[in-house]
Parts: sequence; structure tokens; C-alpha cells
Amino acid sequence: MISRVADSCFWLNRYVERAESCARLASVNRLLVLDAELDSAERWKPVIVVLGEQARFEELVGTDHYHDDDAALEYLTFNQKSPVSIQSSLYWARENARMIREVISREMWETLNTAWQWFSSKAAQREYKKDPSQFYRRIRSLCAEFGGISESTMLHEEPLDFMLLGLALERANQTARLMDVKHHRLASSDRENVETPWQSAQWISQLKLCSAEETFFKRHRAAPTGRRVAEFLLRDPKFPRSVLHCFERAAELLENIEAAAERSAPTASSKAIGAMLEHLRGTKISSVLHGGLHDELTRVVDTVVLVGEHLHRDFLDPTEAPEARPPESRPPEPRPPAAKPAEEVQPAAQSQSQKQGAAE
Amino acid sequence: MTIPAVPKLPLFGDYAPIEGTYDEFFSATGQSRPEVAQLVRALDRLGQREFQQRQQLANSAFLNAGVTFSVYSDERGGERVFPFDLIPRVISAQEWDRVERGLGQRVQALNLFLHDVYGKQAILSEDVLPARLVLGSSGYLERLRGVTPPGGVYIHVAGIDLIRSPTGEFLVLEDNVRTPSGVSYVLENRGVMKRALPSVFKKLHVRSVDDYPTVLRDTLLESAPSSAPARSSTPPSPDSPVRAVVLTPGPFNSAYFEHSFLAGRMGCELAYASDLFVRDKKVYLKTTAGPQQIHVIYRRIDDAYLDPEFFRPDSLLGVPGLVSAYAAGNVTLANALGNGVADDKAIYPYVPEMIRFYLSEEPLLEQVQTYNLSRKPDFEYTLGNLDKLVVKAVDGSGGYGMLMGPTASESERAEFATKLRENPRGYIAQPRIELSTAPTWCDTELAPRRLDLRPFVLTGKKVWVLPGGLSRVALGANSYVVNSSQGGGSKDTWVLGAGVP
Repeated sequence: MISRVADSCFWLNRYVERAESCARLASVNRLLVLDAELDSAERWKPVIVVLGEQARFEELVGTDHYHDDDAALEYLTFNQKSPVSIQSSLYWARENARMIREVISREMWETLNTAWQWFSSKAAQREYKKDPSQFYRRIRSLCAEFGGISESTMLHEEPLDFMLLGLALERANQTARLMDVKHHRLASSDRENVETPWQSAQWISQLKLCSAEETFFKRHRAAPTGRRVAEFLLRDPKFPRSVLHCFERAAELLENIEAAAERSAPTASSKAIGAMLEHLRGTKISSVLHGGLHDELTRVVDTVVLVGEHLHRDFLDPTEAPEARPPESRPPEPRPPAAKPAEEVQPAAQSQSQKQGAAE
Repeated sequence: MTIPAVPKLPLFGDYAPIEGTYDEFFSATGQSRPEVAQLVRALDRLGQREFQQRQQLANSAFLNAGVTFSVYSDERGGERVFPFDLIPRVISAQEWDRVERGLGQRVQALNLFLHDVYGKQAILSEDVLPARLVLGSSGYLERLRGVTPPGGVYIHVAGIDLIRSPTGEFLVLEDNVRTPSGVSYVLENRGVMKRALPSVFKKLHVRSVDDYPTVLRDTLLESAPSSAPARSSTPPSPDSPVRAVVLTPGPFNSAYFEHSFLAGRMGCELAYASDLFVRDKKVYLKTTAGPQQIHVIYRRIDDAYLDPEFFRPDSLLGVPGLVSAYAAGNVTLANALGNGVADDKAIYPYVPEMIRFYLSEEPLLEQVQTYNLSRKPDFEYTLGNLDKLVVKAVDGSGGYGMLMGPTASESERAEFATKLRENPRGYIAQPRIELSTAPTWCDTELAPRRLDLRPFVLTGKKVWVLPGGLSRVALGANSYVVNSSQGGGSKDTWVLGAGVP
């Protein structure tokens, strides 16, 4: 398949997943902040911070608006200048889809296009004002519909594999970021069974943020503790949003892609994924909690970025391939904007790789 | 509670054709024409209110399907839905038969003309048409003389614009043999039509248009260079080792939807220029599995932007070296390079002569009288009668850069007169023809609106004409301009099967 198309497939699903994740985050946190015990700065700041949006939020909205539910929700939902907003993610998802309309199925295009038309309509605004929960639920359903239709209408071969690879990596990324919302609490509660009801409620909200509440209780049938929650979200092998599960899935998909693209040796991309898997499987959760959960989560986020860079060199820019390096084959036009992701969002704390993501 | 019986308003109740024009549905005395009689009855039975609802359904179907075109003048670079009118345009089997043969004849002659002017130039040495017109055309690429594409096919895809005169006769208005667009709307319109008016559709034997992408794919694969891998099956299958791509300028091009649509329906890849490169005079596609050779390019990019090495060294667009690969016979370009000389509007008046010269036949389709401004008497007549004429740039298309004399302002005409004096070879003039009209839904009622027809002709090993084509309609009451870029809309075109009146 055309390399540029593979790139769009990969990003298309990442954007859809981001839209879904942001809708979930907004709707869950919206209810969470109703709890009186949260002091005003706690309401939205952790969320904005893990999305890497602190500077932009303070510039566009203000430093003193972290307690302002309406301002924060607007920023996460409709703000065109916010690269993490649902608006931005849906827009870029649709742009990528538009560039590869002949590759995806007609139903997929129509689902996304209809979702976008609805999101931009007055009807959506009305629903947002009248019943925000329903509004966010609808966005999540549309994203789920897109995923379902993709798997049932596309050939299960390279283009879909690139799409699902984007999805898997984005999920790992989102889970890691959302775990960071409350990381200081997760890390400080290494002691089993000494949770106050208030803390318990916090773990449950953490699980909700990651769409993991029901699955967690199926697995544990016990009160959530920081340790159990971290263990579950990082490396439950069967939880579809756990970091481990997502990387395992990514490894499988990449194997398919390598076969389709006729690569005999493992690519740098699959080595990077392999290293992450080895690390996840080999590390004790207590040492993760002691050593600093935040660093562990940053490692996940950075690995996702690194894999993206390797994928680019391995598959998406074949002019780099030794066999084909004609001097004139640099893409002469500016890359179409749709394939260019919005800047990769970073966790708040100075991660060593604050600037990557422009790599695409 | 009782619901008061609202009388159903027949759809065509107050419809009246414009005097002096040919209406596609009704004669001057108000009788419905035989080919639409059944349709008119069915639509009348449906009634106004129901029809209006179906029209709305059709509109939202287009929006949700994202069947759009981009408008260059629109600053937001927006996509717009091409307005669609639910009343189809109907052509009888008998009439279509004549049109079809006329189109085939015309495209065949144009193709032989290109083969000739890039080869022996017999038509010039025998003085059938002036050599300076041909060799001086901006579409003529002197440097390609001597390069013959596989099978001698230059015009794989033609869109020939027809209009109907006040006497009801089809006339050729314009030939488009470079990168004609619009066929995707023909297919989309049909799909929506079937959804919106299934019962009406069922009653008539309308010839299918769904074959187009398949025939186009076969046409392209048939035209592969002889050096391409042998095909294992006839007709060629998608697994054929011959690789074809559709080449698009990208999502910002007005016809991007169509490029993507055709690639998808043909099962071949849609490439941007930056996805291709040339090495050793062969064209390769950049894929996840490394470079793969391409044999046929259905290119929807104008000549001038295809290859910066050949056309404009300062350009960043295009595939460097593509023309050298084409000239070496390693890749087929559809349409071929240099076709602009055949649809140059100053060459157009000579097409009937070409038909006589190459085919020894009389033209089956008439065309519009044309003043060639490089001839002195024509030039003077045109300047003296700008208020009666339509003036067009010889290499223009899409309704850009033309003057509608009768509706233009004094200053617009004066401005054009200056342009004509500066560059008489650059323009032609034609009398404004009273285009035929068809009933078209205008907010609250049906009203007559002017329309044309663009049929599509494919040429590979043989010539094939899509039954129907794109009927474009000028939506303004006094408008004669049907181009989508100028606020035109479209209608589904029904060619009736044999045996239907």
C-alpha cells in the first residue's frame, strides 16, 4: 500500500481514539468535580496538566479558571485552538479519512462524516447544553460505531492493520496519561487495605476515567487500592485498555504488517515494542510504585512516540530504504496537512522528550 | 378530530416552458413529450408535498455521503455539495442511439487528429486546417512530436459537452479531452435517485450507469505499454500484474472527491505526485513494501504540473522525470500528453473537417457556429457585436474567463474588447444559443431551467459511451452558465432502454 496512505490510516484511528478518550474524560471528570471535597484548583487542573495543555489553557482561558467547569469543558470539547479538544480530534480524523476515502469503506466515511456534521450542528450544541452526559455518550458511541464498522467492512489486511496499530498505541498512550491524573495518590498508597472511603472513591473515579470500573471488579471483587488499580491499568493482560494489552496487540499487528510488506528481519519499530513488553512483564509493581509511577507512565508515552518515529522510517518513507533513494524523490509538495498530526501532547512534568511528535 | 382533506397538488400543475426554447418535458402546446409521459404521470401522482420531502431526503443524502466539490474562490477552502435536482432528464433510446454514434465518431476523429499532428501532420500538409493554428496552440507540445502512446490512443477519457438547440437538436458545444470531470456525480446521482424515488424509477427501463468504473479500469489496463507484464486474463482483473494508479493533485482540488471515488471503485490506488518517483525512466510508487513499478497513470493533473523537469523547472509540483518515462514507452498516461491542441476552442470549428478528412464520413452531430478571432472578418464582426455573443478563452474550461455578452455590463464588454485586441488568437466567439430547459425544483415550485449534457466516452481497444452523462443545470432563472464552479446544479440523466417510447 502507498506509504502516505498507511500514515493516514495510522493517524485516522489515533484521532478517533483521542476523541473518544477526551469525551470520556470530560464526562467522568464533570461528575467527579461535583464532589464537594475537591478544592477548586483540583477540579480541572490535573486533567489539563496531563493532557500537556497547561500553558495553552492558561494563555487562552486564564490561570484562574481551573475551577470553572464551563470553561474547562469548552476547552476540551469545542475549542478549535486546543489540539486535544474533541473538535480537533474529529476534524483531523475526518481530514485523514477524506484523504484515503478510496481505501476505507464507504460506511466508515459516512459514519465519520455524519458524526462531524452532527458535532458541528446546532443540534449538538443544544444537546451539550441540555444533557451533557448524553452528548458525550453520543460521541463515544459514534467512535465505537466507527471502530465496529471498520472491522466489519474492511479487508483484514494491511490498511486495517495500520489503523488498529494506531488505535492500540493511542490507547496505551491515553491510559498512561489518564493514570497520571492522580499519580501522586496512586504512588503514595502502597499500603494495602488502609484506604479510607474517600480514597476508595478516588480509585473508582480513576477506573472510570479509564473505562475500567466494571472490568476491575470482575477481576478483583475487592475494594480498589492504589496498588491493585495501578497493576490492573498497567498490565492486566486481558483488559483492553491496559498498557500491556495494548502493546501486545501492537506487536501482533506489526507482525502482520511486516509480513505484508515483506520484511524478513524485525524492524526497529517492533524491537521498540518488544523492549517495552519485556519491561512491562519483568517489573514488579511495588518497585514501579516506589521508583515513581510518573516516570513509568512517561516511559510509556515516550515509547509510543518512539515507535511512531520508527514506523515512519520503517514503512512510511520508503525513500529512506537503501534500494530506492533517487535524489528527486523527496516529497516535493508540503505534506498535506491532514497527515500531519497536531503536536503530540505531553505529560506536564518535564519529560525528556518534550518536543518530539513533530517527527511526522 | 378530523384532518381536513388537503387536495394533492399535481407536481407539474402550473409549469410552463419559456417561449422560444426547447423544453425537455413539454412541447410548446403544453403536451408532455412521449419519452417523459409516464414519468410526468408518476410524479404528478406523488404530488408537490411528497416530492418536496423526497428532494430534502436527497439533499441530506449528499451531505452525509460527503459528495462534494471544493470551490477555489471560497476563502475557507470549503467543500460544497453539488446541488442536485430530483427531476431527471430523459433521453429516448432512439435519440440516444444517434448521439452515441455521433460521439464515437467525433472522439475517434479527434484521436486520429492528435496521432497525426504529433506524427506525420498530413492534415496540415494538405491544408485542411491552418498549420499556424495547430502549431501555435498553447496545448501543442512540439517536443513530443514522434512519441506515440501505446495503441495510438490519446483520448482514453473524453467529456463532450452537448446542448439542445431551440429546434430540439443536440449540438456539440465543447470538447474536453484533457481531464474532463463529473462522472462521479453521474453515479452518485443515480444512487440517490433510486433511494429517493424508487417507485418512479421502477416503472421505466433506465439504462444502468454502474459499469463505468469497470470499463474505465479495463480501458486503462488495455492501454498499458507493451513492456508491462503480460495479462493473465481477459478482461483484465484487479490481480493483473499491470499496475495502474489514479494521480490526483490532492484534497484541495475541486474534483478530489471524484478522483478518490474512481480509484476506490476501480480498486486501484490514488496517488499524489509525491507518492511517485522515476528511476531509469521507469515510474515507481512508494509503498510500505518499497518501490513498485507503475504501468498506467490515470492522471487528473494538467500537463503543466505533471513534470517539473519537462514543463517548468521552477515548479515544485509533479513527478520529476515522468515525461521521460512516458517518452521511453515505459508508462501510459491517460489522457496522453499534449491533448490540449485537440480541445483548443479555435481548433473546434475544424472538427467537422477532421471527421471528413480522417474517416471519410459526414459528422453525425452538428456544432455551434464559431467566430475565429484570428480571422480578420470574424474579429471585426465580434467586436461590433459583443452584446450578442459569448466569448471564450481558447484554452479555458470550467466557465472561468468567459464573457456572456448579452448579460454583461458595458464596462465588462469594454474590458473584454481590450483583451481581444491584445490577443485575438486567445479567444473565440459564438452566438448565445437558447439552451433547452427542463423542469427544476426551485424552492416552492417547478420552473424551467437551462441545461446541458456531458456524456463520457472511453477509448481503449474500442470506443464505449456511457449511457447518459452529467446533465448540468443553471439554477438562476436567467442563467445560461451551468458550471458547478459558477453555481450550477445537476440532474440524473435517464437513457431509456430500447422498446420504451
